[in-house]
Amino acid sequence: MKQSLIFIILLIFLTDLCDTISQLSLKSSINTIDLHVNTVKKIIKLLLKLAKIPRIWIGFLFSTLSLAIWLFVLSKAELSFAYSLDSMRYILIALASMLILKEKVGLIRWLGIASVVLGILLVATG
Amino acid sequence: MVKKRRLTLKIFLFLVFIDFLETFAQFCFKKTALSERGLEIKAFADAAHFIGTIIPSPFLWLGLISVMMIFVIWSTILSKIDLSVAVPVCSFSYITIPLVSVFYFHEKISALRWFGIFFIIFGIIFVSLSSKHKEEPE
Repeated sequence: MKQSLIFIILLIFLTDLCDTISQLSLKSSINTIDLHVNTVKKIIKLLLKLAKIPRIWIGFLFSTLSLAIWLFVLSKAELSFAYSLDSMRYILIALASMLILKEKVGLIRWLGIASVVLGILLVATG
Repeated sequence: MVKKRRLTLKIFLFLVFIDFLETFAQFCFKKTALSERGLEIKAFADAAHFIGTIIPSPFLWLGLISVMMIFVIWSTILSKIDLSVAVPVCSFSYITIPLVSVFYFHEKISALRWFGIFFIIFGIIFVSLSSKHKEEPE
């Protein structure tokens, strides 16, 4: 019983990790494109440029993997439990943005992220 | 080059729009899945059969179109603001998805959930503010 719980928690962590990797690959690819997007034409240009970056497709792969693991988790665990733990992706993404993308995550932003995570915990379990 | 990374009202509204699209997509996928309720997926052949039966469902395609729209808007937004801002601000779907299930399935929202919704909104405001203060001079 206890072992399967740890297994589920690990799987939720894994699905969030895959999601973080896919978001990171998307954002870091977009960061390499120097384009001020303000028209539909430029949006299409941005998407075409993105499609040529191999990292994007690795990101899609991780995104698919994340969904597959998530669906498996949902078939094993209760939705409220899975959903509340899934909120750790906000922390993972913030950490990754800070350490890998070199975004400045200040105190106010961390407080906001903590509040969102707390809110999700309450919504999921309440 | 100093990139503009400020969260404007326009971008904020697009992020909220993504949440509504996401909610709509989840609703469509749930409707699609419910239409095949009796099916139990045990083997790969069952899964293939399941996919075969849901392909004609209009809800599936509406959901898929929404997901594609989300990707296009999301990419555009990420070209303008930080990932650590965009992701938390996009958590309105944690509020809208329960609300939709309340209206659709006539559930009730407990006091604890209302507290949760309050904290999410509070957090989104904080994250949004952190992006406004950080505007770097060119």
